[in-house]
Amino acid sequence: MQNGKTLGEPLLEAREISLSFGGVKALRGVSLAIRRHEILAIIGPNGAGKTSMLNVVNGFYHPQQGTITFKGETRRAMRPHQAAAQGIARTFQNVALFKGMTTLDNIMTGRLLRMKRGLLWQALYWGPAEREELAHREAVEKIIDFLEIQAIRKIPVGRLPYGLQKRVELGRALAMEPELLLLDEPMAGMNVEEKEDMCRFILDVNDEFGTTIALIEHDMGVVMDISDRVAVLDYGRKIADGPPDAVRADQAVIDAYLGVSHG
Amino acid sequence: MELLHALVIDPIGAIADNPEFLLEVVIGGLLTGVMYSLVALGFVLIYKASGIFNFAQGVMVLFAALCFVGQLQLGMPLVMALLSTVAIMIALAFVIERVVLRPLVNQEPIILFMATIGITFFLTGLGQLVWGGDVKTLDIGLPKDPLIIGGVLVNEFDLTAAAVAGLLVAGLALFFQKTSIGRALRAVADDHQAALSVGIPLKTIWVIVWSVAGIVGLVAGIMWGTNLGVQFSLALVALKALPVLILGGFTSIPGAIVGGLIVGAGEKVAEVFWGPAFGGAIEDWFAYVLALVFLLFRPQGLFGERIIERV
Amino acid sequence: MLYREAGQFKTSYAADQAIFTIPQDRAAFWILLALGFIAIPLVASEYVLLTIMIPFLVFALAAIGLNILTGYAGQLSLGTGGFMAVGAFTAYKLTTALPGLDIVFVFLLSGLVAAAVGIVFGLPSLRIKGFYLAVATLAAQFFLIWLFNKLPWFSNYSPSGVIGAPPRAALGLVTVTGAEASPVAKYLFTLAFVAILALAAKNLVRGRFGRSWMAIRDMDIAAEIIGIRPLNAKLSAFAVSSFYVGIAGALWAFIYTGGVEALAFDIDRSFQILFMIIIGGLGSILGSFLGAAFITLLPILLDRGGEALGLPVPVNVLTNLEDMIFGGLIILFLIAEPRGLARLWQIGKEKLRLWPFPH
Repeated sequence: MQNGKTLGEPLLEAREISLSFGGVKALRGVSLAIRRHEILAIIGPNGAGKTSMLNVVNGFYHPQQGTITFKGETRRAMRPHQAAAQGIARTFQNVALFKGMTTLDNIMTGRLLRMKRGLLWQALYWGPAEREELAHREAVEKIIDFLEIQAIRKIPVGRLPYGLQKRVELGRALAMEPELLLLDEPMAGMNVEEKEDMCRFILDVNDEFGTTIALIEHDMGVVMDISDRVAVLDYGRKIADGPPDAVRADQAVIDAYLGVSHG
Repeated sequence: MELLHALVIDPIGAIADNPEFLLEVVIGGLLTGVMYSLVALGFVLIYKASGIFNFAQGVMVLFAALCFVGQLQLGMPLVMALLSTVAIMIALAFVIERVVLRPLVNQEPIILFMATIGITFFLTGLGQLVWGGDVKTLDIGLPKDPLIIGGVLVNEFDLTAAAVAGLLVAGLALFFQKTSIGRALRAVADDHQAALSVGIPLKTIWVIVWSVAGIVGLVAGIMWGTNLGVQFSLALVALKALPVLILGGFTSIPGAIVGGLIVGAGEKVAEVFWGPAFGGAIEDWFAYVLALVFLLFRPQGLFGERIIERV
Repeated sequence: MLYREAGQFKTSYAADQAIFTIPQDRAAFWILLALGFIAIPLVASEYVLLTIMIPFLVFALAAIGLNILTGYAGQLSLGTGGFMAVGAFTAYKLTTALPGLDIVFVFLLSGLVAAAVGIVFGLPSLRIKGFYLAVATLAAQFFLIWLFNKLPWFSNYSPSGVIGAPPRAALGLVTVTGAEASPVAKYLFTLAFVAILALAAKNLVRGRFGRSWMAIRDMDIAAEIIGIRPLNAKLSAFAVSSFYVGIAGALWAFIYTGGVEALAFDIDRSFQILFMIIIGGLGSILGSFLGAAFITLLPILLDRGGEALGLPVPVNVLTNLEDMIFGGLIILFLIAEPRGLARLWQIGKEKLRLWPFPH
């Protein structure tokens, strides 16, 4: 593998996923495995079904056919909050932060699943509830340090520039301490420096926390640089899957990007 | 056992004994429903053209009726009073656009909704301050005699109301389909930004829509006012248009009509046959609960389209 | 002492998570509490206590309740009056059925019953959103008022449908309801109740529950994807909100008016509370108090203002004027500052913090 790390067993395996909306077929029998500790890039032209694939994986869309096995458990459909509880976190193409809340509160929401104290303790905000809150605050502060966003801690995210919002969104996903992190175009609309920062964060997350990452990205330079494996979707089908260099040389992929007609 | 009797056996027995009476009740209900439809129509127009949920539609009905009846009482001839009330409603549309809508453009829908609650209170106060809060009888010579058609008792006035509603809907349909203003309106309803970018003047459109809604309100106000007298409770009756909208969907004119008919007939039948079992006056809430139950099964309304959520 | 934050460093997360992070704010808060608990009972007249302070506090509690649901969780409700009625009539049934039960527990139980009813009427929120939900809450409003009006069991078959508060003591100490209760006792009891519940509300909204409510409000899809169950978040908001609103209804019937009929909680009451949170500030506990103060005082000021100008304003004109002014103010606030008085207060403080060197 590219940086010499050993990839583990498949963490998630999607088999023969088909999804359609009315008459539009978004995915047609896509099978895709995501292995432990890898960075998998999903690429493809617009409308190829990349985001739909992520939506299926984290339970936002329910496929008409196919199964998903995550950590050895097979299922057809689950609700997004169940996916979250099992350790799947994600970010969105168009930032999906809670605009009325501060950076700190946004990232704190990533800890909600881990906070257990009931209503009465919360109302008292005393003893166990306070200790729990502070423990999670500390965990969140580590993420804030990691992402270098200390200065915007108390600013409502609606007022932040786009690049920072994407970073906060990554922070919220990290706060969930996920096993599988899905990133939908984490670098869209960023300038070069912001992209470099984001690449660094993604590689560090993968390296330091051992988090498995699947990301959608359009910037081929970035894809080739950071991913261990690349899967290519076109018209709802998977047309290639393998190491970056092999995929780059694949004739079907070149055709898809150059727009050779599909006879 | 007693409950079973009150809820099932007695009402159904009553219906089976006298099916003509049921027919009368249904027809009476349908004709009340027409009135709900008239109010709902005003809501739909504004919602379609601006995405604003106009809570003030009910009070616009009251306000228009108050202005109309007030001027009649001052001795103004019928046609003059009618024209001057139309003028007032158009002026009101101008003021609302200038004072409320323009400063709030691009705000969240919920903020605009609350602003229309503000308009509701303002107009309630203003209307009653100027014209007084007493009940005013309104009689502009609409026929009110009972008729027997095919063995069923109907009221001439209800038939008139239905005819007026039909004319109004036909007129609006023509206006929307055939005129350039109508085309512009539909464009705005579809996409504000796109409409702006092809040069449709949003402000003018809003004034027109609110004026039309005001005039529809006036028609509804005259109908309701003739029936119940012009008084504050008109604004509350108009709240019944809300469940109508839920049944019909917020953007559908046929939906407003059909929804109104369902609510009107449904609540009359419920009141007459099931009301006694509950102690009466279930008309107060029946429409809302009906709408609520309906929503649980079909959140998009009768004629609304299914929404696909995207991220 | 200048209002300054510079030079104050927080050395622990606990300090940073406190409600009032600035000592001056903390001091102001304690002074305000002392005023409320000591000074006002000593100096205020019976009139002020009974017609201004108590309704203000009860309104503030109802506004906190609605603010939790609408301001924090983003679920617009027009049914506040209905849930207040649930609290009031439950308290009445409880006090008459169990005369030995302490009034504090009566009120808390009434809140719990209102919370249960709130959950039932909150169930549709799982399928429907926004305006559709607002209409659904109207169903709660009209149905509940009809229920209390029509079923004489709720008012113990009183011919007028009015429920009167029997005399009861709080914690076995001092009588706070009924005709013999002293205004000071009523006032202090209400204040204590409201103060404790407001603190609890503040704690809730800054913790786990508050965050999941705001997440649902700001973006329900994203909330679900980070693991928030919409069911839990929405229904807990309905439950907590109705708990507060229900207790406010019970306090209204038992302490403020001493006797009400169901129509005291009609749809106009729902709008009144909604106005408080719009004017005070959506999503702010402080705003609930500010809005309640504003709406309680405005009619009194109008009345006094008219008298002061030598214009005896007839009652019906006054109510119409009030409607117009409320309506106008709502629009004005939404245009000028959609986040209400609480936001204005915050902006003022930020300016003050920098004063006299604004740059």
